Amino acid sequence: MAGLLGLMFVAFLLQIAFRYFFNFPVGWSSELTVATWLWLVLWGSAFVLKESEEIRFDLITSAVGPRARRAMGIAAGVALVVLYGMSFPAAWSYVTFMKVERSSYLHIRLDWMYSIYLVFAAAVIVRHLWLLWRLARGKDTEAPDSRTASSGL
Amino acid sequence: MNPASPFSLCVLAIVALSLLGLPVGHAMIAGSVLYLYLAGLDMGTAAEQLLNGMYTSYLLLAIPLFILAAEFMNSGSIMDRLLRWCNALVGRYRGGLAQVNVVQSIVFASMSGSALADAAGSGKLMQTLMTRDGKYTPAFAAALTAVSSVLGPIIPPSIPLVLYALISDTSIGYLFLGGVIPGLLLGIVQMALIALTAKRRNFPVEPAVPLREWPRLTWDAFPALMMPVILLGCLYSGITTPTEAAAAAAAYALAVSAFLYRSTGWRDVYNSLVTSARITVSIGMLIAGALVFNYVITIENIPRTLSVMLKGYELSPLVYLLIVNLILLVLGCFLEGTTILLVIVPVLLPTAHALGIDPVHFGVVAVVNIMIGLVTPPYGLLLFMMVKIAEVPLKDIVREVMPFLGVMIGALALITLVPDLVLFLPRLLGYKG
Repeated sequence: MAGLLGLMFVAFLLQIAFRYFFNFPVGWSSELTVATWLWLVLWGSAFVLKESEEIRFDLITSAVGPRARRAMGIAAGVALVVLYGMSFPAAWSYVTFMKVERSSYLHIRLDWMYSIYLVFAAAVIVRHLWLLWRLARGKDTEAPDSRTASSGL
Repeated sequence: MNPASPFSLCVLAIVALSLLGLPVGHAMIAGSVLYLYLAGLDMGTAAEQLLNGMYTSYLLLAIPLFILAAEFMNSGSIMDRLLRWCNALVGRYRGGLAQVNVVQSIVFASMSGSALADAAGSGKLMQTLMTRDGKYTPAFAAALTAVSSVLGPIIPPSIPLVLYALISDTSIGYLFLGGVIPGLLLGIVQMALIALTAKRRNFPVEPAVPLREWPRLTWDAFPALMMPVILLGCLYSGITTPTEAAAAAAAYALAVSAFLYRSTGWRDVYNSLVTSARITVSIGMLIAGALVFNYVITIENIPRTLSVMLKGYELSPLVYLLIVNLILLVLGCFLEGTTILLVIVPVLLPTAHALGIDPVHFGVVAVVNIMIGLVTPPYGLLLFMMVKIAEVPLKDIVREVMPFLGVMIGALALITLVPDLVLFLPRLLGYKG
Protein backbone atom coordinates (compact mmCIF):
# COMPACT_ATOMS: atom_id res chain seq x y z
CA MET A 1 0.00 0.00 0.00
CA ALA A 2 2.88 2.30 0.81
CA GLY A 3 4.17 1.26 -2.60
CA LEU A 4 1.02 2.52 -4.32
CA LEU A 5 1.25 5.88 -2.59
CA GLY A 6 4.95 6.08 -3.37
CA LEU A 7 4.21 5.32 -7.02
CA MET A 8 1.59 8.08 -7.09
CA PHE A 9 4.05 10.53 -5.60
CA VAL A 10 6.81 9.65 -8.06
CA ALA A 11 4.42 9.81 -11.01
CA PHE A 12 3.44 13.31 -9.95
CA LEU A 13 7.04 14.44 -9.74
CA LEU A 14 7.73 13.01 -13.19
CA GLN A 15 4.68 14.79 -14.54
CA ILE A 16 5.80 18.16 -13.24
CA ALA A 17 9.36 17.55 -14.36
CA PHE A 18 8.31 16.58 -17.87
CA ARG A 19 6.03 19.54 -18.26
CA TYR A 20 8.28 22.28 -16.94
CA PHE A 21 11.81 21.15 -17.39
CA PHE A 22 11.51 19.26 -20.65
CA ASN A 23 8.55 21.20 -21.97
CA PHE A 24 6.93 17.91 -22.89
CA PRO A 25 3.56 17.31 -21.26
CA VAL A 26 2.74 13.67 -20.72
CA GLY A 27 -0.72 12.26 -20.13
CA TRP A 28 0.14 8.83 -18.87
CA SER A 29 1.44 10.09 -15.54
CA SER A 30 -1.84 11.75 -14.56
CA GLU A 31 -3.62 8.59 -15.60
CA LEU A 32 -1.27 6.53 -13.48
CA THR A 33 -1.88 8.79 -10.46
CA VAL A 34 -5.66 8.48 -10.57
CA ALA A 35 -5.36 4.73 -11.06
CA THR A 36 -3.10 4.40 -8.01
CA TRP A 37 -5.53 6.54 -6.00
CA LEU A 38 -8.51 4.37 -6.93
CA TRP A 39 -6.68 1.14 -6.19
CA LEU A 40 -5.09 2.48 -3.02
CA VAL A 41 -8.42 3.40 -1.44
CA LEU A 42 -10.40 0.31 -2.45
CA TRP A 43 -7.59 -2.20 -1.91
CA GLY A 44 -6.60 -0.65 1.40
CA SER A 45 -10.15 -0.54 2.65
CA ALA A 46 -10.75 -4.16 1.65
CA PHE A 47 -7.58 -5.76 3.00
CA VAL A 48 -5.32 -3.49 5.02
CA LEU A 49 -7.32 -1.16 7.24
CA LYS A 50 -8.19 -2.54 10.65
CA GLU A 51 -11.74 -2.27 11.96
CA SER A 52 -10.61 0.22 14.57
CA GLU A 53 -9.04 2.53 11.98
CA GLU A 54 -12.20 3.19 10.03
CA ILE A 55 -14.14 6.40 10.51
CA ARG A 56 -17.33 5.54 12.32
CA PHE A 57 -19.80 7.02 14.75
CA ASP A 58 -19.00 5.22 17.98
CA LEU A 59 -20.64 7.37 20.63
CA ILE A 60 -23.48 4.89 21.06
CA THR A 61 -21.62 1.64 20.44
CA SER A 62 -19.04 2.49 23.06
CA ALA A 63 -21.68 3.56 25.60
CA VAL A 64 -23.85 0.42 25.57
CA GLY A 65 -23.05 -2.91 27.19
CA PRO A 66 -21.48 -5.85 25.35
CA ARG A 67 -24.82 -7.64 24.76
CA ALA A 68 -26.42 -4.62 23.11
CA ARG A 69 -23.25 -3.96 21.14
CA ARG A 70 -23.33 -7.53 19.85
CA ALA A 71 -26.95 -7.18 18.77
CA MET A 72 -26.23 -3.88 17.03
CA GLY A 73 -23.20 -5.36 15.31
CA ILE A 74 -25.26 -8.28 14.02
CA ALA A 75 -28.07 -6.01 12.75
CA ALA A 76 -25.63 -3.68 10.96
CA GLY A 77 -23.59 -6.57 9.56
CA VAL A 78 -26.64 -8.36 8.14
CA ALA A 79 -27.92 -5.14 6.52
CA LEU A 80 -24.50 -4.49 4.99
CA VAL A 81 -24.06 -8.00 3.63
CA VAL A 82 -27.59 -8.02 2.17
CA LEU A 83 -27.26 -4.62 0.47
CA TYR A 84 -23.76 -5.20 -0.90
CA GLY A 85 -24.82 -8.69 -1.94
CA MET A 86 -27.91 -7.37 -3.73
CA SER A 87 -25.93 -4.84 -5.71
CA PHE A 88 -23.07 -7.19 -6.54
CA PRO A 89 -24.55 -8.71 -9.74
CA ALA A 90 -25.40 -5.24 -11.08
CA ALA A 91 -21.93 -3.97 -10.24
CA TRP A 92 -20.47 -7.05 -11.95
CA SER A 93 -22.37 -6.35 -15.15
CA TYR A 94 -21.36 -2.67 -15.07
CA VAL A 95 -17.68 -3.44 -14.61
CA THR A 96 -17.58 -6.20 -17.23
CA PHE A 97 -19.47 -3.93 -19.63
CA MET A 98 -16.66 -1.39 -19.35
CA LYS A 99 -14.46 -3.70 -21.44
CA VAL A 100 -15.64 -1.67 -24.43
CA GLU A 101 -13.58 1.30 -23.23
CA ARG A 102 -9.87 1.77 -22.84
CA SER A 103 -8.02 4.45 -20.89
CA SER A 104 -6.77 7.18 -23.17
CA TYR A 105 -3.00 7.00 -22.62
CA LEU A 106 -2.04 3.68 -21.17
CA HIS A 107 -4.73 1.82 -23.15
CA ILE A 108 -5.72 -0.26 -20.17
CA ARG A 109 -9.12 -1.82 -20.62
CA LEU A 110 -11.46 -0.12 -18.15
CA ASP A 111 -12.95 -3.40 -16.97
CA TRP A 112 -9.47 -4.26 -15.66
CA MET A 113 -9.05 -0.81 -14.16
CA TYR A 114 -12.45 -0.99 -12.45
CA SER A 115 -12.25 -4.65 -11.41
CA ILE A 116 -10.89 -3.48 -8.04
CA TYR A 117 -14.44 -2.52 -7.12
CA LEU A 118 -15.59 -6.14 -7.44
CA VAL A 119 -12.62 -7.29 -5.36
CA PHE A 120 -13.49 -4.62 -2.82
CA ALA A 121 -17.21 -5.47 -2.66
CA ALA A 122 -16.51 -9.19 -2.38
CA ALA A 123 -13.94 -8.62 0.35
CA VAL A 124 -16.33 -6.39 2.30
CA ILE A 125 -19.03 -9.07 2.14
CA VAL A 126 -16.66 -11.85 3.21
CA ARG A 127 -15.15 -9.72 5.95
CA HIS A 128 -18.53 -8.89 7.43
CA LEU A 129 -19.72 -12.49 7.17
CA TRP A 130 -16.65 -13.43 9.19
CA LEU A 131 -17.41 -10.68 11.72
CA LEU A 132 -21.01 -11.89 11.92
CA TRP A 133 -19.84 -15.43 12.57
CA ARG A 134 -17.63 -14.20 15.39
CA LEU A 135 -20.48 -12.15 16.85
CA ALA A 136 -22.86 -15.10 16.59
CA ARG A 137 -20.41 -17.23 18.55
CA GLY A 138 -20.54 -14.65 21.31
CA LYS A 139 -17.31 -12.78 20.75
CA ASP A 140 -17.43 -9.03 21.34
CA THR A 141 -16.40 -6.70 18.54
CA GLU A 142 -13.05 -5.01 18.78
CA ALA A 143 -13.55 -2.18 21.25
CA PRO A 144 -13.92 1.03 19.24
CA ASP A 145 -11.12 3.49 19.87
CA SER A 146 -11.76 6.92 18.44
CA ARG A 147 -8.19 7.92 19.13
CA THR A 148 -6.81 5.66 16.43
CA ALA A 149 -9.23 6.74 13.72
CA SER A 150 -7.49 9.30 11.58
CA SER A 151 -9.34 11.39 9.10
CA GLY A 152 -6.68 13.71 7.74
CA LEU A 153 -8.44 16.79 9.09
CA MET B 1 -41.56 15.21 1.94
CA ASN B 2 -43.16 11.79 2.03
CA PRO B 3 -41.61 9.85 4.96
CA ALA B 4 -41.84 6.54 3.06
CA SER B 5 -40.26 7.85 -0.15
CA PRO B 6 -37.09 6.06 -1.31
CA PHE B 7 -35.03 9.15 -0.48
CA SER B 8 -36.27 9.45 3.11
CA LEU B 9 -35.66 5.75 3.62
CA CYS B 10 -32.17 6.11 2.16
CA VAL B 11 -31.27 8.91 4.61
CA LEU B 12 -32.86 6.95 7.43
CA ALA B 13 -30.84 3.85 6.52
CA ILE B 14 -27.57 5.81 6.41
CA VAL B 15 -28.24 7.33 9.82
CA ALA B 16 -29.37 4.02 11.34
CA LEU B 17 -26.44 2.03 9.97
CA SER B 18 -23.95 4.66 11.18
CA LEU B 19 -25.54 4.67 14.63
CA LEU B 20 -25.32 0.88 14.72
CA GLY B 21 -21.59 1.25 14.28
CA LEU B 22 -20.86 0.60 10.60
CA PRO B 23 -18.06 2.68 9.10
CA VAL B 24 -19.70 5.83 7.74
CA GLY B 25 -18.44 5.28 4.19
CA HIS B 26 -20.01 1.80 4.03
CA ALA B 27 -23.24 3.14 5.55
CA MET B 28 -23.49 5.75 2.79
CA ILE B 29 -22.88 3.21 0.02
CA ALA B 30 -25.34 0.71 1.53
CA GLY B 31 -28.03 3.39 2.05
CA SER B 32 -27.64 4.60 -1.52
CA VAL B 33 -27.91 1.03 -2.83
CA LEU B 34 -31.16 0.74 -0.89
CA TYR B 35 -32.38 3.93 -2.57
CA LEU B 36 -31.53 2.62 -6.05
CA TYR B 37 -33.37 -0.61 -5.27
CA LEU B 38 -36.50 1.11 -3.91
CA ALA B 39 -36.59 3.63 -6.74
CA GLY B 40 -36.35 0.79 -9.24
CA LEU B 41 -33.04 2.00 -10.67
CA ASP B 42 -30.03 -0.04 -11.74
CA MET B 43 -28.06 -0.94 -8.62
CA GLY B 44 -24.87 -1.00 -10.67
CA THR B 45 -25.11 2.79 -10.65
CA ALA B 46 -23.58 2.80 -7.17
CA ALA B 47 -20.44 1.14 -8.52
CA GLU B 48 -20.50 3.38 -11.59
CA GLN B 49 -20.71 6.62 -9.57
CA LEU B 50 -18.04 5.51 -7.14
CA LEU B 51 -15.59 4.37 -9.81
CA ASN B 52 -16.12 7.25 -12.23
CA GLY B 53 -16.10 9.78 -9.42
CA MET B 54 -12.83 8.53 -7.99
CA TYR B 55 -11.29 8.04 -11.42
CA THR B 56 -12.09 11.47 -12.81
CA SER B 57 -11.69 13.78 -9.82
CA TYR B 58 -8.08 14.69 -10.21
CA LEU B 59 -8.45 17.42 -7.58
CA LEU B 60 -8.95 14.81 -4.83
CA LEU B 61 -5.38 13.60 -5.28
CA ALA B 62 -4.28 16.76 -3.47
CA ILE B 63 -5.53 15.15 -0.26
CA PRO B 64 -3.09 12.21 -0.02
CA LEU B 65 -0.28 14.50 -1.14
CA PHE B 66 -1.02 17.12 1.55
CA ILE B 67 -1.15 14.33 4.12
CA LEU B 68 2.19 13.04 2.85
CA ALA B 69 3.74 16.53 2.99
CA ALA B 70 2.69 16.90 6.62
CA GLU B 71 4.11 13.47 7.48
CA PHE B 72 7.44 14.30 5.86
CA MET B 73 7.66 17.55 7.79
CA ASN B 74 6.87 15.83 11.06
CA SER B 75 9.46 13.11 10.53
CA GLY B 76 12.32 15.58 10.22
CA SER B 77 13.62 18.30 12.50
CA ILE B 78 11.67 21.04 10.75
CA MET B 79 9.40 21.47 13.75
CA ASP B 80 12.37 21.94 16.09
CA ARG B 81 13.81 24.75 14.07
CA LEU B 82 10.45 26.43 13.66
CA LEU B 83 9.90 26.38 17.40
CA ARG B 84 13.24 27.99 18.12
CA TRP B 85 12.48 30.69 15.58
CA CYS B 86 9.02 31.34 17.06
CA ASN B 87 10.54 31.49 20.52
CA ALA B 88 12.91 34.25 19.42
CA LEU B 89 9.88 36.09 18.11
CA VAL B 90 7.40 35.98 21.00
CA GLY B 91 9.08 34.10 23.88
CA ARG B 92 10.02 37.31 25.68
CA TYR B 93 6.44 38.24 26.50
CA ARG B 94 4.48 37.06 29.54
CA GLY B 95 3.12 33.61 28.78
CA GLY B 96 5.82 33.42 26.12
CA LEU B 97 5.79 29.68 25.50
CA ALA B 98 2.01 29.72 25.20
CA GLN B 99 2.28 32.42 22.54
CA VAL B 100 5.00 30.39 20.82
CA ASN B 101 2.56 27.50 20.61
CA VAL B 102 0.04 29.62 18.71
CA VAL B 103 2.57 31.33 16.43
CA GLN B 104 4.11 27.97 15.59
CA SER B 105 0.64 26.70 14.66
CA ILE B 106 0.05 29.70 12.40
CA VAL B 107 3.34 29.09 10.60
CA PHE B 108 2.79 25.34 10.41
CA ALA B 109 -0.77 25.92 9.18
CA SER B 110 0.57 27.68 6.14
CA MET B 111 2.47 24.52 5.19
CA SER B 112 0.05 21.81 6.18
CA GLY B 113 -3.63 21.27 5.62
CA SER B 114 -4.32 19.09 8.61
CA ALA B 115 -5.05 19.95 12.24
CA LEU B 116 -4.34 16.44 13.51
CA ALA B 117 -0.93 16.49 11.80
CA ASP B 118 -0.11 19.75 13.57
CA ALA B 119 -1.04 18.35 16.98
CA ALA B 120 0.81 15.10 16.26
CA GLY B 121 3.88 16.96 15.06
CA SER B 122 4.31 19.59 17.73
CA GLY B 123 2.17 18.13 20.55
CA LYS B 124 4.81 16.05 22.27
CA LEU B 125 7.57 18.65 22.01
CA MET B 126 5.34 21.54 23.09
CA GLN B 127 4.03 19.52 26.03
CA THR B 128 7.54 18.78 27.29
CA LEU B 129 8.69 22.38 26.87
CA MET B 130 5.66 23.93 28.51
CA THR B 131 5.44 21.63 31.53
CA ARG B 132 9.18 21.52 32.27
CA ASP B 133 9.93 23.01 35.72
CA GLY B 134 6.18 23.32 36.32
CA LYS B 135 5.91 26.38 34.11
CA TYR B 136 2.40 25.56 32.94
CA THR B 137 -0.05 22.92 34.10
CA PRO B 138 -0.11 19.86 31.80
CA ALA B 139 -3.83 20.37 31.21
CA PHE B 140 -3.35 23.97 30.02
CA ALA B 141 -0.48 22.98 27.73
CA ALA B 142 -2.48 20.14 26.20
CA ALA B 143 -5.59 22.29 25.78
CA LEU B 144 -3.56 25.03 24.11
CA THR B 145 -1.94 22.65 21.61
CA ALA B 146 -5.39 21.31 20.75
CA VAL B 147 -6.98 24.71 20.14
CA SER B 148 -4.01 26.17 18.28
CA SER B 149 -3.95 23.13 15.96
CA VAL B 150 -7.44 24.13 14.83
CA LEU B 151 -5.79 26.81 12.68
CA GLY B 152 -4.07 24.19 10.49
CA PRO B 153 -6.82 23.58 7.96
CA ILE B 154 -8.23 27.13 8.00
CA ILE B 155 -5.04 28.87 6.88
CA PRO B 156 -4.19 27.43 3.43
CA PRO B 157 -3.44 24.78 2.36
CA SER B 158 -6.41 22.91 3.71
CA ILE B 159 -7.66 19.35 3.30
CA PRO B 160 -11.27 20.12 4.35
CA LEU B 161 -11.42 23.02 1.87
CA VAL B 162 -10.36 20.61 -0.90
CA LEU B 163 -13.26 18.37 0.14
CA TYR B 164 -15.61 21.35 0.14
CA ALA B 165 -14.39 22.34 -3.34
CA LEU B 166 -15.35 18.85 -4.46
CA ILE B 167 -18.91 18.91 -3.13
CA SER B 168 -19.64 22.53 -4.04
CA ASP B 169 -17.83 22.97 -7.36
CA THR B 170 -16.01 26.04 -6.07
CA SER B 171 -12.51 27.15 -7.07
CA ILE B 172 -9.97 25.73 -4.67
CA GLY B 173 -7.67 28.73 -5.17
CA TYR B 174 -10.32 31.23 -4.03
CA LEU B 175 -11.35 29.02 -1.12
CA PHE B 176 -7.75 28.89 0.10
CA LEU B 177 -7.46 32.68 -0.13
CA GLY B 178 -10.75 33.02 1.73
CA GLY B 179 -9.33 31.08 4.67
CA VAL B 180 -6.34 33.41 5.26
CA ILE B 181 -7.99 36.25 7.20
CA PRO B 182 -10.35 34.03 9.26
CA GLY B 183 -7.39 31.82 10.19
CA LEU B 184 -5.27 34.76 11.30
CA LEU B 185 -8.26 36.20 13.16
CA LEU B 186 -8.65 32.98 15.14
CA GLY B 187 -4.93 33.04 15.93
CA ILE B 188 -5.15 36.64 17.13
CA VAL B 189 -8.09 36.02 19.46
CA GLN B 190 -6.26 33.03 20.93
CA MET B 191 -3.15 35.11 21.54
CA ALA B 192 -5.20 37.91 23.05
CA LEU B 193 -6.84 35.48 25.43
CA ILE B 194 -3.42 34.10 26.44
CA ALA B 195 -2.13 37.64 27.05
CA LEU B 196 -5.11 38.32 29.33
CA THR B 197 -4.83 35.02 31.19
CA ALA B 198 -1.06 35.36 31.50
CA LYS B 199 -1.37 38.34 33.84
CA ARG B 200 -4.03 36.76 35.98
CA ARG B 201 -2.34 33.38 36.29
CA ASN B 202 1.16 34.80 36.31
CA PHE B 203 2.57 32.78 33.43
CA PRO B 204 6.37 32.70 33.14
CA VAL B 205 8.46 34.72 30.70
CA GLU B 206 11.15 33.07 28.57
CA PRO B 207 14.64 34.58 28.59
CA ALA B 208 14.76 37.02 25.71
CA VAL B 209 16.74 35.79 22.72
CA PRO B 210 19.41 38.44 21.97
CA LEU B 211 18.96 40.26 18.69
CA ARG B 212 22.27 39.03 17.29
CA GLU B 213 21.01 35.43 17.46
CA TRP B 214 18.09 36.20 15.18
CA PRO B 215 19.84 35.99 11.81
CA ARG B 216 21.21 32.52 12.63
CA LEU B 217 17.86 31.22 13.89
CA THR B 218 16.06 32.62 10.88
CA TRP B 219 18.65 31.08 8.57
CA ASP B 220 18.16 27.72 10.32
CA ALA B 221 14.43 27.86 9.82
CA PHE B 222 14.60 29.56 6.43
CA PRO B 223 14.07 26.50 4.19
CA ALA B 224 11.02 25.55 6.25
CA LEU B 225 9.69 29.11 6.20
CA MET B 226 10.01 29.11 2.40
CA MET B 227 7.53 26.25 2.14
CA PRO B 228 4.35 28.35 2.16
CA VAL B 229 5.92 30.79 -0.29
CA ILE B 230 6.66 27.96 -2.72
CA LEU B 231 3.32 26.28 -2.23
CA LEU B 232 1.15 29.35 -2.60
CA GLY B 233 3.43 30.78 -5.28
CA CYS B 234 2.95 27.66 -7.39
CA LEU B 235 -0.77 27.83 -6.88
CA TYR B 236 -1.51 31.48 -7.56
CA SER B 237 0.97 32.14 -10.30
CA GLY B 238 -0.86 29.41 -12.19
CA ILE B 239 2.37 27.45 -12.72
CA THR B 240 0.83 24.28 -11.36
CA THR B 241 -2.62 22.89 -10.62
CA PRO B 242 -3.56 22.65 -6.91
CA THR B 243 -2.86 18.93 -7.04
CA GLU B 244 0.62 19.43 -8.48
CA ALA B 245 1.29 22.16 -5.92
CA ALA B 246 0.52 19.58 -3.23
CA ALA B 247 2.98 17.16 -4.84
CA ALA B 248 5.61 19.89 -5.03
CA ALA B 249 5.05 20.68 -1.35
CA ALA B 250 5.54 17.03 -0.41
CA ALA B 251 8.69 16.80 -2.52
CA TYR B 252 10.04 19.99 -0.98
CA ALA B 253 9.32 18.82 2.57
CA LEU B 254 11.08 15.54 1.82
CA ALA B 255 14.06 17.27 0.24
CA VAL B 256 14.45 19.71 3.13
CA SER B 257 14.27 17.14 5.90
CA ALA B 258 16.25 14.42 4.11
CA PHE B 259 19.00 16.31 2.32
CA LEU B 260 19.24 19.74 3.89
CA TYR B 261 18.68 18.91 7.55
CA ARG B 262 19.79 15.26 7.17
CA SER B 263 17.26 14.23 9.77
CA THR B 264 15.25 11.72 7.74
CA GLY B 265 16.38 8.26 6.64
CA TRP B 266 14.85 5.68 4.31
CA ARG B 267 13.07 4.09 7.26
CA ASP B 268 11.36 7.38 8.10
CA VAL B 269 10.33 7.86 4.49
CA TYR B 270 8.82 4.38 4.42
CA ASN B 271 7.01 4.96 7.74
CA SER B 272 5.65 8.29 6.49
CA LEU B 273 4.35 6.54 3.38
CA VAL B 274 2.63 3.83 5.42
CA THR B 275 0.98 6.28 7.83
CA SER B 276 -0.15 8.55 5.02
CA ALA B 277 -1.54 5.63 3.05
CA ARG B 278 -3.60 4.47 6.04
CA ILE B 279 -5.04 7.96 6.59
CA THR B 280 -5.70 8.25 2.86
CA VAL B 281 -7.65 5.01 2.81
CA SER B 282 -9.90 5.87 5.73
CA ILE B 283 -10.72 9.32 4.33
CA GLY B 284 -10.96 7.88 0.81
CA MET B 285 -13.69 5.44 1.86
CA LEU B 286 -15.70 8.35 3.18
CA ILE B 287 -15.22 10.22 -0.09
CA ALA B 288 -16.30 7.12 -2.01
CA GLY B 289 -19.50 6.94 0.03
CA ALA B 290 -20.11 10.66 -0.43
CA LEU B 291 -19.77 10.35 -4.22
CA VAL B 292 -22.53 7.74 -4.32
CA PHE B 293 -24.77 9.63 -1.87
CA ASN B 294 -24.30 12.93 -3.73
CA TYR B 295 -25.55 11.21 -6.88
CA VAL B 296 -28.74 10.34 -5.00
CA ILE B 297 -29.10 13.98 -3.92
CA THR B 298 -28.66 15.07 -7.53
CA ILE B 299 -31.25 12.76 -9.10
CA GLU B 300 -33.72 13.49 -6.32
CA ASN B 301 -33.36 17.15 -7.33
CA ILE B 302 -33.11 18.24 -3.70
CA PRO B 303 -31.87 21.77 -4.52
CA ARG B 304 -35.04 22.51 -6.53
CA THR B 305 -37.35 20.99 -3.95
CA LEU B 306 -35.70 23.04 -1.24
CA SER B 307 -35.84 26.35 -3.03
CA VAL B 308 -39.55 25.81 -3.72
CA MET B 309 -40.10 25.02 -0.04
CA LEU B 310 -38.13 28.07 1.07
CA LYS B 311 -40.27 30.42 -1.01
CA GLY B 312 -42.93 29.84 1.64
CA TYR B 313 -40.74 31.08 4.48
CA GLU B 314 -39.25 34.53 4.72
CA LEU B 315 -35.72 33.33 5.42
CA SER B 316 -32.94 35.89 5.16
CA PRO B 317 -29.44 34.68 4.19
CA LEU B 318 -28.08 35.87 7.54
CA VAL B 319 -30.66 33.98 9.58
CA TYR B 320 -29.95 30.88 7.53
CA LEU B 321 -26.18 31.20 8.07
CA LEU B 322 -26.72 31.54 11.81
CA ILE B 323 -28.95 28.46 11.80
CA VAL B 324 -26.29 26.56 9.84
CA ASN B 325 -23.67 27.62 12.39
CA LEU B 326 -25.82 26.37 15.21
CA ILE B 327 -26.50 23.04 13.49
CA LEU B 328 -22.84 22.49 12.67
CA LEU B 329 -21.63 23.44 16.14
CA VAL B 330 -24.06 21.05 17.79
CA LEU B 331 -23.24 18.26 15.34
CA GLY B 332 -19.54 19.00 15.82
CA CYS B 333 -19.87 17.93 19.43
CA PHE B 334 -20.97 14.44 18.37
CA LEU B 335 -19.77 13.71 14.85
CA GLU B 336 -16.43 13.39 13.18
CA GLY B 337 -15.53 16.39 10.99
CA THR B 338 -15.13 14.73 7.59
CA THR B 339 -18.51 13.09 8.06
CA ILE B 340 -20.16 16.46 8.68
CA LEU B 341 -18.42 17.94 5.67
CA LEU B 342 -19.33 15.13 3.27
CA VAL B 343 -22.78 14.17 4.57
CA ILE B 344 -24.36 17.21 6.24
CA VAL B 345 -22.89 20.14 4.31
CA PRO B 346 -24.11 18.84 0.89
CA VAL B 347 -27.62 18.82 2.34
CA LEU B 348 -27.28 22.42 3.63
CA LEU B 349 -25.55 23.78 0.54
CA PRO B 350 -28.48 23.94 -1.93
CA THR B 351 -30.44 26.24 0.38
CA ALA B 352 -27.42 28.53 0.66
CA HIS B 353 -27.34 28.66 -3.15
CA ALA B 354 -31.04 29.39 -3.31
CA LEU B 355 -30.67 32.24 -0.82
CA GLY B 356 -27.77 33.75 -2.75
CA ILE B 357 -25.12 33.13 -0.10
CA ASP B 358 -21.63 33.26 -1.59
CA PRO B 359 -20.27 29.67 -1.89
CA VAL B 360 -16.74 30.68 -0.83
CA HIS B 361 -18.06 32.48 2.26
CA PHE B 362 -20.33 29.54 3.08
CA GLY B 363 -17.48 27.06 2.66
CA VAL B 364 -15.05 28.92 4.90
CA VAL B 365 -17.72 29.43 7.58
CA ALA B 366 -18.57 25.73 7.44
CA VAL B 367 -14.93 24.65 7.65
CA VAL B 368 -14.11 27.01 10.55
CA ASN B 369 -17.15 25.57 12.27
CA ILE B 370 -16.13 21.98 11.69
CA MET B 371 -12.59 22.71 12.88
CA ILE B 372 -13.94 24.17 16.11
CA GLY B 373 -15.87 20.90 16.34
CA LEU B 374 -12.50 19.13 16.67
CA VAL B 375 -12.10 20.58 20.16
CA THR B 376 -15.69 20.45 21.40
CA PRO B 377 -16.46 17.75 23.97
CA PRO B 378 -17.60 15.02 24.20
CA TYR B 379 -16.38 14.01 20.74
CA GLY B 380 -13.34 16.03 19.62
CA LEU B 381 -10.53 14.27 17.81
CA LEU B 382 -7.93 16.85 18.83
CA LEU B 383 -8.94 16.43 22.48
CA PHE B 384 -8.58 12.65 22.22
CA MET B 385 -5.22 13.04 20.57
CA MET B 386 -3.94 15.33 23.32
CA VAL B 387 -5.24 12.96 25.99
CA LYS B 388 -3.02 10.33 24.41
CA ILE B 389 0.03 12.55 23.85
CA ALA B 390 -0.05 14.47 27.15
CA GLU B 391 -1.55 11.72 29.32
CA VAL B 392 -3.90 14.18 30.97
CA PRO B 393 -7.53 13.23 31.77
CA LEU B 394 -10.05 14.47 29.21
CA LYS B 395 -12.07 16.47 31.74
CA ASP B 396 -9.04 18.56 32.76
CA ILE B 397 -8.24 19.42 29.16
CA VAL B 398 -11.88 20.27 28.49
CA ARG B 399 -11.95 22.72 31.40
CA GLU B 400 -8.96 24.58 29.99
CA VAL B 401 -10.35 24.50 26.45
CA MET B 402 -13.62 26.23 27.40
CA PRO B 403 -12.42 29.88 27.47
CA PHE B 404 -10.71 29.37 24.10
CA LEU B 405 -13.88 27.86 22.73
CA GLY B 406 -15.70 31.02 23.79
CA VAL B 407 -13.41 33.42 21.93
CA MET B 408 -13.25 31.17 18.86
CA ILE B 409 -17.03 31.07 18.60
CA GLY B 410 -16.98 34.86 18.92
CA ALA B 411 -14.55 35.02 15.99
CA LEU B 412 -16.76 32.62 14.04
CA ALA B 413 -19.76 34.91 14.60
CA LEU B 414 -17.71 37.82 13.26
CA ILE B 415 -16.70 35.85 10.15
CA THR B 416 -20.33 34.91 9.60
CA LEU B 417 -21.65 38.45 9.98
CA VAL B 418 -18.94 40.15 7.92
CA PRO B 419 -18.51 38.22 4.63
CA ASP B 420 -15.79 40.66 3.57
CA LEU B 421 -13.43 39.10 6.10
CA VAL B 422 -13.54 35.99 3.95
CA LEU B 423 -14.09 37.52 0.52
CA PHE B 424 -11.66 40.46 0.61
CA LEU B 425 -8.55 38.52 -0.49
CA PRO B 426 -10.27 36.36 -3.14
CA ARG B 427 -11.84 39.50 -4.66
CA LEU B 428 -8.48 41.22 -4.65
CA LEU B 429 -7.23 38.42 -6.86
CA GLY B 430 -10.13 38.45 -9.24
CA TYR B 431 -12.91 36.47 -7.59
CA LYS B 432 -16.26 37.62 -8.88
CA GLY B 433 -18.75 36.81 -6.14
